[in-house]
Amino acid sequence: MIRVEGLGKIAGGTRILRGVSLNVEPRTVLGIIGASGSGKTTLLRCLNGLERISEGALECDGVRLEATLSDKEYQRGVKLLRRRVGMVFQHFYLFPHLSVLGNIAEAPVQVLKRPRAEVETLARELLETVGLAKAAPRYPESLSGGEQQRVAIVRALAMRPAVLLFDEPTSALDPRRSHELIAVLRRFVEQGQTMVIVSHSIRFLEGVADNLLYMEAGEAVELAATETLLNEPQDPRTRDFLQHAD
Amino acid sequence: MDKGVPGCRLRGALLLLCLLFIPVGIRAQAVLRWGADASGGAPYVFSDPAHPDTYVGYEFEMVEALAAAMNRRPVFVSTDWETIVTSLQRGEFDVIVNGLEPTEDRARVILFSKPYYIFQLQLTVRKNETRIRTLEDCRSRTVGTLGNTAASRLLETEGIPFRGYADPVGAYRDLELGRIDAVLMDNPAEMFYARRNPRLKPAGEPVHRGAYVVGLRKGDEALKAEVDAGIDKIVRDGTLERILRKWNLWNDAQAELKTAALKRDGANAGDGSKKPDEVAYEITSSSFNWGEALLRLTRAALVTVLLSLGAMVIAVTLGLALAVGQSRGPTWLRALSTVYVEFFRGTPVLVQLLFLYFGLPRLGLAMPGWLTALVGLGLNYAAYESQVYRAALEAIPRGQFEAAYSLGMSPVLAFRRIILPQALRIALPPMTNDFVSLFKDTSVAFAISVWELATAYRELANASGEFMLLGAVVSAFYLLMSLPLAHLARRLEMRLNRRQAVEAVESEVAA
Repeated sequence: MIRVEGLGKIAGGTRILRGVSLNVEPRTVLGIIGASGSGKTTLLRCLNGLERISEGALECDGVRLEATLSDKEYQRGVKLLRRRVGMVFQHFYLFPHLSVLGNIAEAPVQVLKRPRAEVETLARELLETVGLAKAAPRYPESLSGGEQQRVAIVRALAMRPAVLLFDEPTSALDPRRSHELIAVLRRFVEQGQTMVIVSHSIRFLEGVADNLLYMEAGEAVELAATETLLNEPQDPRTRDFLQHAD
Repeated sequence: MDKGVPGCRLRGALLLLCLLFIPVGIRAQAVLRWGADASGGAPYVFSDPAHPDTYVGYEFEMVEALAAAMNRRPVFVSTDWETIVTSLQRGEFDVIVNGLEPTEDRARVILFSKPYYIFQLQLTVRKNETRIRTLEDCRSRTVGTLGNTAASRLLETEGIPFRGYADPVGAYRDLELGRIDAVLMDNPAEMFYARRNPRLKPAGEPVHRGAYVVGLRKGDEALKAEVDAGIDKIVRDGTLERILRKWNLWNDAQAELKTAALKRDGANAGDGSKKPDEVAYEITSSSFNWGEALLRLTRAALVTVLLSLGAMVIAVTLGLALAVGQSRGPTWLRALSTVYVEFFRGTPVLVQLLFLYFGLPRLGLAMPGWLTALVGLGLNYAAYESQVYRAALEAIPRGQFEAAYSLGMSPVLAFRRIILPQALRIALPPMTNDFVSLFKDTSVAFAISVWELATAYRELANASGEFMLLGAVVSAFYLLMSLPLAHLARRLEMRLNRRQAVEAVESEVAA
């Protein structure tokens, strides 16, 4: 589903990512762990085109972006990429001037040109799935952090992306809410949703990720099945990180 | 008002000075302080183009002769035509000599001397004009003239649409530019400004026959007698004729005036009881009535509203473009937008309007007055609006763009559907403030003779003398329109906030 080949990112003369390669199989969840500044969020932003890659290539559901492409070609690729990749931001970034339903329906109606009634039916179904059936007419301001996050997830899912990206989904949640989030995500994974989740919380990823990638100083250090990476890390750097992690 | 205090003090100081030099004062010649509007005042009184700090004109020379006949020293006081009667009453000068026509409404507030000039009204059109031969042909066209003159009153009585100008130069220039179709003006001004212009020509014979007199304050009977005697003297001894001939203003009507004066002289010398021959002239009177004034004010109010609406549409669209250009455009566009904004914010809107109205025609772009005001105010307010929008746009977090992009929206779609609605909500309160002040700023359009509320007030009040009452009515008009606007803005703002507040409360209750 996702293939990253020797991806490098240099911004403002500073190297942020170096030679990152990885594969994400369909219907699996990849968790990315690593210290702050290890480049995991930047990698995520490269995956939906918010950052341009400087080296290597990435491919997602048949859309291929290469560092050597011209700006115009790259932008065209990004446009296609974003149809296949959904993103849930750390701070959700719901649109404050639109109701919950409006937030969810906006892009399918405006971008995919789907009929509003159809989109709203889908939106209500998705809201029901995340336990927010009654929130449809409300405005983001009046929602709790957890509710806002679930709306953001539904908003991304309403575009029916091949891959859903999460940036630090647990940073605004207390432990109980994190647990609920795992249940919500599990439900979508069972329906076949591929995900990439960047998180500080190893415990959270343990509950949801099939595979884990450990990143350090902009490099992909170790990628393995979640249990394997946590219990039998091969690289000394991974071992060192896990020892000091929560 | 506060200007009056130093004025009083100055006057007090002068009085003190006079008291100190009483012996000298008594022996010194008495003065004749006369007021006239010298701006665009040729050939009556105007700045000598060769020596801009000295005045010339046939009336200037006539007053010198008149004062000499009265054994006084003339002192010229420069004033404004529209308010000349009020200035006389306030005592800024003792007599008006400015081609003043005796009218019934003026007769109620000031005294008139005997006539010193018989004037006629001359219609002027463009050289290539074929449709207009007489005043009758102007029924469906616009005629320019000076405000509050015999010509304007005649046009008003005849029901011919006209535009009042502050000076003849403006009227004839607008005629040349095609902003109006004809100009009706007193023949001395017509002789000086239009006859020598190869692009203009007189249409038909002169109409109307009026008189110029000297205006004096009510109660100044002694001075009036002195002035009358002076006029008689310079008419009879040929001094006035010499001056008028020099200015090319001598004609049969003036000859009649002279003959009549000489005859009267003879009659007085012979039989005192015999009524002297008088020279006949007509008197126009302004037809001021409150019903019509209210109608004209309502029309002016409508113009004000349309001006503000039109200008605001320009300001909003251009302002938005400037804001986007300034915050997101390429370097050259940023620089251009910044220069635009600084230029229009840094120079007075009045100067901008005058430039657009008088300057642009030089480059071949002559817009009518209302359009000039609309565009000028729009361009000016666009600069202010752009800063409101820029601040509002900058207040929207970057994440909103990223969220929109990540949902597959193009930059244009993201801006239109996500960023703009949020920015407009932030911009709404300052925008409505700006709209209210734009609404009031339409009054500067009076400088380019647009018939909006402020112009209407000035002209109607000058014609009627009802400065207090009309002022109250005009203020009421402005308030009637600006208060609901401010109220509407406040409600809109509250509704936008309340919708979110209600949401918040509902969610609390539900939880």
